[in-house]
Amino acid sequence: MTVGTVTAPLDRLRTALAEIADLQHAEMLLDWDSRVSMPHAGARARADASATVGRIAHERFISDEVGELLDELAPLGAELEPGSADAALIRVTRREWERFRRVPAALAGEMRHASGIAVAAWDEAKAASDFAQFAPHLEHQLELKHRYIECFPPAKNPYDILLQDYEEGMTTAEVAAVFEVLKPELLSLVDDLRDHQVDLGPLGGPFSVAKQRAAGERVLDAFGFAAGSWRLDETSHPFASNPGIGDVRLTTHYDETNLHSLFSTMHEFGHGVYEWGVDPSFARTPLGGGTSSAVHESQSRTWENLVGRSRGFWRWFYPQLQSIFTDELGAVDEESFYRAVNAVRPTLVRVDADEVSYGLHIILRFELEQELLSGAVRVDEVQEEWNARVHEYLGLDVPDDAHGVLQDMHWSIGLIGYFATYQLGNVMSVQFWRRAVSELGDAEDQFARGEFAPLREWLRENVYRHGRMYEPRELLRRVTDSDLDPAPYLDYLRTKFAA
Amino acid sequence: MTENPKLDRLKELLSEVDDLRKAATLLFWDQRVMMPPGGSEARAEASATIGRLAHERFVAKELGSLLDELNDEDYDFESFEASLIRVTRRDYEKAVRVPPSLTGEMRHASATALSAWGPAKEKSDFAALLPHLQRNLELRHRYVECFEPGNETYDVLLDDYEPLMKTAEVREIFEGLKRDLVPLIKEIADAGPVDDSFLHEEFDPEAQREFCYAVVRRFGFTDEQWRLDTTQHPFMCTPGEGDVRITTNFRPNDLTSVFASMHEFGHGVYEWGVDPSLQRTPLGSGVSLGMHESQSRTWENLIGRSRAYWRFFYPQLKDVFPAQLGSVDEEAFFRAVNKVHPSLIRIDADEVTYNLHIILRFELEQELIDNRLDPKDLPGVWNERMDEYLAVEVPDDAHGVLQDMHWAGGSLGYFPTYSLGNVMSVQIWERLKEDLDVDEQMERGEFGEIREWLRSHLYVLGRKFTPQETIERVTGSRIDAAPYVRYLRDKLAPQHA
Repeated sequence: MTVGTVTAPLDRLRTALAEIADLQHAEMLLDWDSRVSMPHAGARARADASATVGRIAHERFISDEVGELLDELAPLGAELEPGSADAALIRVTRREWERFRRVPAALAGEMRHASGIAVAAWDEAKAASDFAQFAPHLEHQLELKHRYIECFPPAKNPYDILLQDYEEGMTTAEVAAVFEVLKPELLSLVDDLRDHQVDLGPLGGPFSVAKQRAAGERVLDAFGFAAGSWRLDETSHPFASNPGIGDVRLTTHYDETNLHSLFSTMHEFGHGVYEWGVDPSFARTPLGGGTSSAVHESQSRTWENLVGRSRGFWRWFYPQLQSIFTDELGAVDEESFYRAVNAVRPTLVRVDADEVSYGLHIILRFELEQELLSGAVRVDEVQEEWNARVHEYLGLDVPDDAHGVLQDMHWSIGLIGYFATYQLGNVMSVQFWRRAVSELGDAEDQFARGEFAPLREWLRENVYRHGRMYEPRELLRRVTDSDLDPAPYLDYLRTKFAA
Repeated sequence: MTENPKLDRLKELLSEVDDLRKAATLLFWDQRVMMPPGGSEARAEASATIGRLAHERFVAKELGSLLDELNDEDYDFESFEASLIRVTRRDYEKAVRVPPSLTGEMRHASATALSAWGPAKEKSDFAALLPHLQRNLELRHRYVECFEPGNETYDVLLDDYEPLMKTAEVREIFEGLKRDLVPLIKEIADAGPVDDSFLHEEFDPEAQREFCYAVVRRFGFTDEQWRLDTTQHPFMCTPGEGDVRITTNFRPNDLTSVFASMHEFGHGVYEWGVDPSLQRTPLGSGVSLGMHESQSRTWENLIGRSRAYWRFFYPQLKDVFPAQLGSVDEEAFFRAVNKVHPSLIRIDADEVTYNLHIILRFELEQELIDNRLDPKDLPGVWNERMDEYLAVEVPDDAHGVLQDMHWAGGSLGYFPTYSLGNVMSVQIWERLKEDLDVDEQMERGEFGEIREWLRSHLYVLGRKFTPQETIERVTGSRIDAAPYVRYLRDKLAPQHA
């Protein structure tokens, strides 16, 4: 076999994939810009441009040409060392090509279109706090999901197919098993903690936006945000975006009445630093990104919670925060502040939840999604079910749909199967963390000195740089020598909160 | 939807191309305004890919066959359908003549030469840029060969920026300008110097920004549809309908930001005013660079350097900068911002001498493309002509032949559109003045009716008609320099006792 015949199709595959990555780069920027910088009146034209660019990227990816290259490369893929980047590229591309290929363009178009309409309806329904307005759109999304599922070979549980889109290789049964361990433990922890007296006064503010920005930037600088490759902007819903290598963009949201911006900034940093740390040689290939939604979330939660709500972090940062907010925090000691930002208080709204009760919000959604999909719960029953379970799990009465079943936009844009990854991320974050700490020594001590580079570099070396080389399960095994396991997470929560 | 499925399909294909071009526009804007520098390499690749895909989709066989099958004469000449077929066919026929490999080489050579231009200008080192200029010129020769020979080689280059305009026409207009403007410049010089020292005080950039916003908001800028950002080189772009983005540069020692903002607003408002029904087609933008420049110069000069405009805005500007302008009266200020004084740098030139900078470049470009001038002799010839036309001595190439990026970027044939824009701006303005008392409006700070007149007479047309048809529709006459010369003389010639 000559080198030429081996490398030529691989080079051609890389060229085709690079072009698709460039289209995705444009698509990502069109999206970022529409949320950060676009004048409002540009929305309609932007929707057209995004749809076209996204469709062309999709069409080129599922093209016969890519399929033929993959066929040609099959023998090479089998021959290569499975751990090599080339083998991973062929494997991941093949898997994705087959999955996308199964969905007819017409259905994909219908799904995109329905999401566009449903998200607008959701927005209005939420503003009116009226689930009935949104119900037909949810019905339609479910119907589309059923049609989507039919494009694939039958799975044990149809929900498996949806889950696969976000968490490669994960099954419903596995997630359910993890959540079944978590549920009683979280219920009892929340129950124990809900009446603990914690003074939330220190977080009352008001905190000026300019000062919050200064505080957030100081934290980011210490974490490793470099102006030459990163941006931080403000949007109503924080997010992270990475249009191309060397270009990481975070957003946060400032609210004078609280300090949430600090935590959302650290959260988005976690997403950003994962993308930033991917091996540069994976750029413009399907390997160049985080491996799954849950692993991504494990990193946002690492930087937000395991770092950002730790004693060590606040030992370092609290004096600085005090010097920024002298009037507001001058008289509040570090311990009181630490307790306030770690208070456990069940809330109606998921995104406001503390570390402990958060998991219950997710479990509720994971259950309802499966029941909606199987028909065990009908759309016209979901609101009632929601409210009953919020009462059961969190001990709260839902006053209206805006604070209940309508609070999240996910279902409107067809993200069914996604919520579970948030909690899986929490679980994985502690698994990775345990391994990091066992190698780094006392991470909290390092944080207390404002040193975050050792953790960042450890994560880069062990997690980030691999991009999508490994499926989430395999990555976990490589890093932690263990499968998905809720025990470390529960142990972390108990140690931190039940003490 | 129309009744012709072929036309519908054509529109569908064109809307995809337009979407890709809009994405490319956003990539371009973002790179200059938002992108962290670390993203440059990936951005260059993404931009090249999107640009190439847009081009490939435009020259696709299917689109060509549709154009073969569709006949614009089946529709009324004035109709959208007829225009769409006419204009697309013309664009298509030009685009398919150039092999993608040559386009790629040209793009690559431009990018390389532009990177060399910056340092060469900084060090005033023409020799460093020379090989790039030679390469660009060689590629332009190959480019010209892709087309039917015109009367003059330069015609092909000019056509990319000013469609259907011929070199001979431009030459005639420019000869006229040269004949009239050289003596005018002398008369003005003989009348003695104008004091503009107060324009070179320190002006707080933040205060400049506020004033610029106040001006463009009165012109019609709204946050709903526009953005104003800061970049080293001001520019305008529209990454989508209802989304007009302009930039300006706030320099701490002058007020050029105000004029740059008005200039870019003029480009922006032209795009803003194109009929929405032309969007996502090749008809949905300004008709030529010359016409575009006519509008930037209208808002910058005909409006922004007029007495009536400053009657309204000068008191506000004085309030913003009382220390610098408190003792300067309106007349002195007006004279200062209209000072005519030969200078070395085109972009700093006044309304009169500006054209001589352009004429010089137009002449040199023709000589280069016709092989009458060897690129290595450029600096010498440049300096001679600067002396001849403007009586200024060029101290070094940074202030001479290296000052503009156009030639490094491969843009030959672009420069004349700046002066053609000046010429057309006054033709259109004179026609507008028949309908509106512009001075009375501007003195009151009212620009809505002026904008609306320009929109409904010119901007709405987009690319529906050729530039020549467009100017005739708006003004009733062909391109003509006489109104422009008259305007300059009326405004700037020394008053004879």
